[in-house]
Amino acid sequence: MAIKRYHYARDVEEALSLLLAYEGRGALVAGGVDVARGLPGEIEGLIDITAAGLSGISREGGRLVVGATATLEGIRTSREVKAYMGGFLSEVMGHVATLSLRNMATLGGAVVSAHPWADIPTALIALGAEAVWRNEERTERAPVEELYARPFRAIFRRAVLTEIRLPAWDGAFAFEKLSRNAGDIALVNCACGLGLDAEGKIAWARVAVGATPYRAERLVAVEELLAGEVPSEALWEEAGHRAAAEARVGDDMRASAEWRRAVIPVIVRRALERAGRAVMGDR
Amino acid sequence: MAERKVIGKPVRKVDGIPLATGQPVFTLDVDLPGAAVGKVLHSPHAHAEIVRIDTSRAEELPGVLCVLHHGNVPRIPYTTAGQGWPEPSPYDSFLFDRKVRFVGDRVAAVAAESEEIADEALRLIEVEYRVLPAVLDPEGATAPGAPVIHDEEDARGIHDPQRNIAAAIDIRVGEIERGFSESDVVVETTCEFPYVQHVPLEPHCVIAYLDEEDRLVIRTSTQVPFHVRRIVARALGLPLSRIRVIKPRIGGGFGTKQEIILEDVAAALALRTRRPVVMKYTREEEFVAARTRHPMKVRVKLGAKKDGKLHAIEMDVLSNTGAYGTHSLTVLSNVGSKTLPLYNKAPHIWFHGKAVYTNLPVAGAYRGYGATQGYFALEVAIDELAEKLGIDPLELRLKNHIRAGETSPIFEKIGEGREGKAQVIRSCALEECIREGAKRIGWSEKRGKRLRDGPWVHGVGMAIAMQGSGITDIDMGAATIMMNEDGTFRLLVGATDLGTGSDTILAQIAAETLGVPVEAISVYSSDTDFTPFDTGAYASSTTYVSGNAVLLAARKVREEILRVASGILGEPPGELELRDGRVVSTRTGKGVPFAEVGHRAMYVTDQRHIIASASFVPPESPPPFAAFFAEVAVDVETGRVRVVKFVGVADCGTPIHPRLAEGQLEGAIVQGIGHALYEEMLLSKRGGVRNPNLFDYRIPTAADVPDIEVVLIPSEEPTGPYGAKSIAEVGINGPAPAIANAIYDAVGVRLYRIPFTPDRVLSGICSPAVLK
Amino acid sequence: MMKIYFELNGEPVYTEIKPGEMLLDLLRRLGMKSVKEGCRTGECGACTVLLDGKPIRSCLTFAAKAKGHRITTLEGLGTPEDPHPLQEAFLEAGAVQCGFCTPGMILVAYHLLSHNPDPSPDEVRAAISGNLCRCTGYVKIVDAVLTAARWKREGKWRKER
Repeated sequence: MAIKRYHYARDVEEALSLLLAYEGRGALVAGGVDVARGLPGEIEGLIDITAAGLSGISREGGRLVVGATATLEGIRTSREVKAYMGGFLSEVMGHVATLSLRNMATLGGAVVSAHPWADIPTALIALGAEAVWRNEERTERAPVEELYARPFRAIFRRAVLTEIRLPAWDGAFAFEKLSRNAGDIALVNCACGLGLDAEGKIAWARVAVGATPYRAERLVAVEELLAGEVPSEALWEEAGHRAAAEARVGDDMRASAEWRRAVIPVIVRRALERAGRAVMGDR
Repeated sequence: MAERKVIGKPVRKVDGIPLATGQPVFTLDVDLPGAAVGKVLHSPHAHAEIVRIDTSRAEELPGVLCVLHHGNVPRIPYTTAGQGWPEPSPYDSFLFDRKVRFVGDRVAAVAAESEEIADEALRLIEVEYRVLPAVLDPEGATAPGAPVIHDEEDARGIHDPQRNIAAAIDIRVGEIERGFSESDVVVETTCEFPYVQHVPLEPHCVIAYLDEEDRLVIRTSTQVPFHVRRIVARALGLPLSRIRVIKPRIGGGFGTKQEIILEDVAAALALRTRRPVVMKYTREEEFVAARTRHPMKVRVKLGAKKDGKLHAIEMDVLSNTGAYGTHSLTVLSNVGSKTLPLYNKAPHIWFHGKAVYTNLPVAGAYRGYGATQGYFALEVAIDELAEKLGIDPLELRLKNHIRAGETSPIFEKIGEGREGKAQVIRSCALEECIREGAKRIGWSEKRGKRLRDGPWVHGVGMAIAMQGSGITDIDMGAATIMMNEDGTFRLLVGATDLGTGSDTILAQIAAETLGVPVEAISVYSSDTDFTPFDTGAYASSTTYVSGNAVLLAARKVREEILRVASGILGEPPGELELRDGRVVSTRTGKGVPFAEVGHRAMYVTDQRHIIASASFVPPESPPPFAAFFAEVAVDVETGRVRVVKFVGVADCGTPIHPRLAEGQLEGAIVQGIGHALYEEMLLSKRGGVRNPNLFDYRIPTAADVPDIEVVLIPSEEPTGPYGAKSIAEVGINGPAPAIANAIYDAVGVRLYRIPFTPDRVLSGICSPAVLK
Repeated sequence: MMKIYFELNGEPVYTEIKPGEMLLDLLRRLGMKSVKEGCRTGECGACTVLLDGKPIRSCLTFAAKAKGHRITTLEGLGTPEDPHPLQEAFLEAGAVQCGFCTPGMILVAYHLLSHNPDPSPDEVRAAISGNLCRCTGYVKIVDAVLTAARWKREGKWRKER
């Protein structure tokens, strides 16, 4: 590593101006986990943003706003996060890596790194989370799902991700993950959410699968299949099979496409079941 | 039997406090002034000839001290296997060679002022390779026209280099064909063990330097300090007397540190630069260029009479030794020699197989040493045989396993790379182990019930196993005990504590014999200049072999003490005994403290140092026995397998330190569970390791470990020190077959290849045979 | 090079570091040899230290991040003359085999017991699950942490450094 300087940015403006001044030879450091694991050789300056005031977690109405440098363990144990969507996000964080890595890694880091095998993007996409970032001109925002459809790595070479905004949903979410052992990444994961209308029919549904081994994607066709229906075991089953048909699935050294296709119906069904139970329990 | 005061007691580990408080006791915890960093350049090709190597740009880099490669070191064939003499592994390795034989093979090495400079220097070495066709499949290694991996003329001891056969074995007892034709039931099964690795938490590391007398000191994380000295002397053409090897505390070995992996290069760099040289493998290098368990295909054919008596056993082994033949013959031999005697009732046995070279990672010694691979196949086959016979697999094993007072022709037929030696089992509590384990797992309540808990279906399975205690007539341990004038003792042993607690156990044996608490014994181990010889920590040898040496030395010291005390007390030695740090008259009860004995011997009368040495060569290798029971739950919708409970019951003779013995069993079982469920080194089409990291080579974490119950059922081994046998390895033999058999009990899927991944389990569940 | 100030095991440290240096290397350079290198990718946990009381991986933490913070290594918990009760418990339970994972294990256990004095065996397993041990099979490590927790509840942790 040819790191020449380590900066401690006091606020977003300073972080951004340093990043721009390095013209591609600087890198932002929050937890530092991904930076330390795979730093490109051309990086000369590291810009630490953990003291830039981006670690807050707050509720705004039903919404949850999480600063980009909030640590995963901080999020997992936060009272605000536990109160949001029945603690769904806190539960997801519990699936990610291990305690000492969660004490370092940040939500912003997870969003920017966007590892295809990661759990957080799956959950954020299902939740319809919005990313907020600051670039040279202005503050911009976009749903995480949409961000990943854009050249987001290029964006964050010249911008500072500042926060993730999570909308309020009238309903419940559940997360499922299959992995090799404790602390492992997902071999495949999914996050599903449901809300019911006054007649007990599904008012809205959100379904995302990830680590297929491709980056998480929303399965709109499955959501449409669910909307307007009355919850039932048969419906979850059908949604699961539809999810397997819709998802882009592949082989990697960790699992075969065939297995992934066989288990997506199972985890989607299990997540829908749990979300459904939670929603109905609310009533 | 006299009451034992130290043996069997949970004394504190003699190195416990330094380890628990994080003192600088490991190889790399010392900083030597002026130390340089050594690094290895690894081959990117599975099989290639080095046509040209240009190190000039690397050598010109400021801070580079030297670059070694095949062009500037002597060419001496040797083996990296740290084994006894004569060395049973072929001499097919060189410090550096003109040819590379696997992705990760050594091409060159650099010493530089810093790690960064060393890395940069490696990048500046220009190597032109002529890529050769590679053998990437052990099945095809012996085919006519297959590339010859060891075509060098100066290699020695290779069974058939032209056919890539490193070693072969063919042992017959009785008439196998008749055996099967006389059998009422025959089953045949083939099980496959992939590349798995030891993963000691501390990777290989070494510091080599020249001392004030210009002798070469090698401070290294090794299981075999004396073999390191001998092999480095050979590889570098140095007199053995010029080398001192020191083993400090080491961070786990499990066999991978029974190999000379970095010591030879570090020593060569230190000699060339005349600077201390520090070398350590990264975790990635550990996976790519250290050692692995021998991947194997083991075919087992069993024939039995209707009543369940085994009548014929055939075992056919294809072992993949990778690019070098280290431990190839002895691991292959152990597949049979450590398994077949367990079922000694069969009069007809054929054990045959070969270890082949491939252009793949190098296999070596790994806890279990072939027995683990053998038991996976054998114990799955026994389960299948039981099913076919309609006999409870537990009863089938009870009907056939070896017992005290019995023997097996295999003991005589297979030894350490040569013929073995007849041996009678003197202690065996296997039957009690099986019965106790069955009770604890709930065998009769749970087996065949397929209890369901949501998508999880439960099943139970079992396996039994044995190992050995050291290598008959080959291993040797020696010990020296000296008395200090204050009545305490110094115990010097060549034995190598690799974390097992053997220093503590040896101190206990000395303390018991000398009638003192363990605190009165200070242990110094594993320093070739200052401790007597020991073959090292492998083959489950230390407690039994080195322990017997300590016992013999302690007895001699006891005689000396009695002699001196007899002069003080005025009574014949025969009337005296050692008790609680005193010599006491059995007649009068009068006594004299050791401090007085020591003081008198050293300073007062008939002056001499009370000191004695003894050696022990095991005339036999008493096996420890164990029974393993797994309860698994299989998620029938995803194929995931959870080990709900695991019971391991072992007979290791009289445990010297039960808690340490349990720790050996628990640790081995969890490694075995890792092998069974997750562990596998995945190889690319070019022969490289695809998952050379702990991110994708998963080993068990605390959260994966089920309810593990281990029980020690003592037996009294008459040839062991205080009745002890070994315990280090036997525990790793059971998990894979016990779990495979439990999965079959749960969901009716037979798995013949580990690891039992969700992928494989689910495809078994979904197969037409199971779905019906 | 840059200079940073931080607190190491209760003592002030003012030292020069390289801007890209890892905390693992800095701590070992400062003599804290209990901090072990097992993988450098954050998987094994042998390099675990506490930053402001929370376990982190020093192999993936830039040394510069220590600036202004409290770092605790195993050396800060107990000494050979005066071992910490957790260290005593590890020895009593037989939880130390090779000892290479022990420093990190004890530190995560210390962190667990600092906010949960009465953990269940499963809570202990979860808390230490990020720290790999290849020797023990974890059984006796879990026992040790439960023993230390009991001692703590019984008021046997004489003093806290």
